[in-house]
Amino acid sequence: MVPILGRTLILLALLSASAGALVALATGARPSAPGWLWSRRLAYAFAGCMLLANLTMEGALLGHDFSVGYVAHVGSRSVPAWVSIVSLWSSLEGSILFWGLILGLYIAVATYRNRDEHAEYMPWAVGIWLVCGAFFSFLLAGPAQPFATVADPPLDGPGPNALLQNHVLMAIHPPFLYAGYVGMTIPFGFACAALFAGRLGEDFLRPLRSSLLLPWIFLTIAIVLGGWWAYEVLGWGGYWAWDPVENASFLPWLTATAALHSALLVERKGTLKAWTLTLIAATFLLTILGTFMTRSGVFNSVHSFTQSAIGPTLLVFLAGALLLSVALLALRIDALESGGGLTPGISRDAAFLGQNLLFVLFTFTVLLGTVFPLVMEAFRGTQMSVGRPYFDQMAVPIGLALLLVMGIGPALPWGRATGEQMRRALLPPLAGATAVAVAGFLLGVRNRWTLAALLCGGFTAQVTLREMLLPVRQRMRAHGESFTLALRSAQRRGRRRFGAYVVHAGAMLVIVAIAVSSTMSTSREVLLKEGDATTLGAYTLTFVKAEAVREPHRESLRARLEVVRDGRSLGALFPSMNFYERQREPVGTPAVRSGLVEDLYLSAHNIDPAAGTVALLVLVTPMVAWIWIATAVMALGGLLALWPRMRESTAPARSLSPGPAPALEVVR
Amino acid sequence: MRSVSPAQGAAPRTAVNLKVLAAGAAVVLPLLAVLALNLGRDPRAVRSPLVGQPAPPFSLPSTGGGAPLALESLRGHPVVVNFWATWCVPCIEEQAALTAAARSLQDTRFVGIVYEDEAAAVGQFLASRPAGYPTLMDPGGRTAIAYGVAGVPETFFLDADGRVVEKHVGPLARSTIASLVARARGAR
Repeated sequence: MVPILGRTLILLALLSASAGALVALATGARPSAPGWLWSRRLAYAFAGCMLLANLTMEGALLGHDFSVGYVAHVGSRSVPAWVSIVSLWSSLEGSILFWGLILGLYIAVATYRNRDEHAEYMPWAVGIWLVCGAFFSFLLAGPAQPFATVADPPLDGPGPNALLQNHVLMAIHPPFLYAGYVGMTIPFGFACAALFAGRLGEDFLRPLRSSLLLPWIFLTIAIVLGGWWAYEVLGWGGYWAWDPVENASFLPWLTATAALHSALLVERKGTLKAWTLTLIAATFLLTILGTFMTRSGVFNSVHSFTQSAIGPTLLVFLAGALLLSVALLALRIDALESGGGLTPGISRDAAFLGQNLLFVLFTFTVLLGTVFPLVMEAFRGTQMSVGRPYFDQMAVPIGLALLLVMGIGPALPWGRATGEQMRRALLPPLAGATAVAVAGFLLGVRNRWTLAALLCGGFTAQVTLREMLLPVRQRMRAHGESFTLALRSAQRRGRRRFGAYVVHAGAMLVIVAIAVSSTMSTSREVLLKEGDATTLGAYTLTFVKAEAVREPHRESLRARLEVVRDGRSLGALFPSMNFYERQREPVGTPAVRSGLVEDLYLSAHNIDPAAGTVALLVLVTPMVAWIWIATAVMALGGLLALWPRMRESTAPARSLSPGPAPALEVVR
Repeated sequence: MRSVSPAQGAAPRTAVNLKVLAAGAAVVLPLLAVLALNLGRDPRAVRSPLVGQPAPPFSLPSTGGGAPLALESLRGHPVVVNFWATWCVPCIEEQAALTAAARSLQDTRFVGIVYEDEAAAVGQFLASRPAGYPTLMDPGGRTAIAYGVAGVPETFFLDADGRVVEKHVGPLARSTIASLVARARGAR
């Protein structure tokens, strides 16, 4: 019964998406009011079917209806309800179903919001979205069927992957990732629409940019949540390993970030239109490539789903989307680019361009490192891994250059800067740079790259703060307002600009925190008997005892360690190893004591209650917590920039730097 | 739907920009080719660079202080070299299969090499569960390094000329041993 209901909903979704795509694309080519009306109706119908199909699946998961194929595959009566709920995205078929839900919601909202606007573009956009919707419905109807009927339902199922059950972050990370990944379909549809229409009008920039910014915020959070999860669960003390699938989430983030910036140049200078659309298309294509990486079984990674039949289907879709994008760009690029141009010389324009090129270079570097092992495998038959050294070597200089450009760009005026302007803009932040680097040196930073990161970070921090507070200072001076009042009104009037600098501040902190935490960590591996103590830095750890804990869905061994720092007791930490019924290898759970200065990280490799021993990895890593905090700052900045403005007519970000004339413009 | 104003709706030029087309194709086509070529491959299957090459020679002491055994002395027979340790649960599981195979495959020589373990622990283990073939100690792990052992159990199948025919990662079942030995026999 439930499987039939589910399959019917999937088929209806497939039907409405395919019909809607045809109607919408036809309406794009030959505008008509009924065509546009039916495009919208079918888009809403697709979203509705996906929503109902997902609710049906959640009902089956919570009700342990093992006649549904997917429930029999991942469900279990012994897991807590929250695990049952998140099981929706714990395995291949369910994750595609969840993808359909997110896609449906995005399409419905984007269609509804623009129902009376951008008539020239919208049918094309809806058409492209629904082509994607039809593709994912097709996957659910055929190669990745969640609603298969189980003829002889089992009494109980195996439960989802143990790694998913092991930490609550696994319940949060995938939805954010999907919201980021799937959301990139919307700007892709807009970009294709602009290419079909052969122009990108000024009025269309705003929906294009905000449709990109929202999934960008989700993706930013998702990437860092993934790192956080790895840190809290995997037990090696790191948060990023350049795993192919981590790269898969990072690649579209890079191009989306570049596109958000180049869109600003389109707005200011009317140039780089095709380039921006290319970046947006690349972002979407990289999300599909990333999905292929996780779902096809081609890459080996902690994230890999089991090998599945959807690999070839996804590859065909990827190929189609790639070829369509290239063909559209080649056909329309000459029509798009008209007038405008960048002023040669050193200026904010040039910094934007440099930033964009750095991001694209970064994208190619990561893409090459990810795909290179496959190239070797295909042509030489040898397996090899490019591994961390390559990525670290490439990412560190590019990351530092980006950090520096993030400081230089906003300091410079638009257009061409004179020598005097440049001196006035670039010399004062050197004070901040020196101060931060010297402070770091005094605190024990000796690594050259880390010092360079502090130097660039200090420079950028000073510029960012100055730019963030400049409108406030001007209001205080011009209107005699108090600081809080001025901050509020300046923030309201230039929210997008203010939000952008909050994102910059967060990004600056993330890079510095990564530089410090990855180079300044100290570690020690010990085998302790009950009563033994070990020290690392200021910490003394005493192993009290090993104990077994039983929970309904797992058994755990935990080691109790008393922690003392500088003679002051900090209580006990319990690194543990969890044993799940259907998994032979235990899953470790490190114990982390997070602080603003440093983290104490205990990961047990082996706990033996009989012998009373624990094999322990102890790590002290500075500034890790700042990565999570700064990401929250970035997300907050993104939301500030995204939030609908009080007044629609806001001036775009302007150089506020030298001279009173541009400063007055901001105050208006 | 609002009507499109004529000035904006002018049909776009449709000349193909060949430079963009070529650049796009240069990025896209190789990427697709590589992905397509790798479809259906099991990323977890580990291929050893040793396959097809002469196996690295060794001469190692047996457990319990017996005379050293050299790989050279087994020339003329297919050889199964099994790296294992007492702390490795899958190794213990496959020991019975290996012992049974060593008994039934009379022409084949089986050798166990201990990987990162202590002689005392190995002696104790073999006393309770004797293996039907010689077990060698590998002081300093030099042989394991020469064979590129990344974890245990790993098993190498050599033909009668001492060439590596196959490398197997993970515990072996009797049927797998038989079929891989058959390949080692046929490889000559």
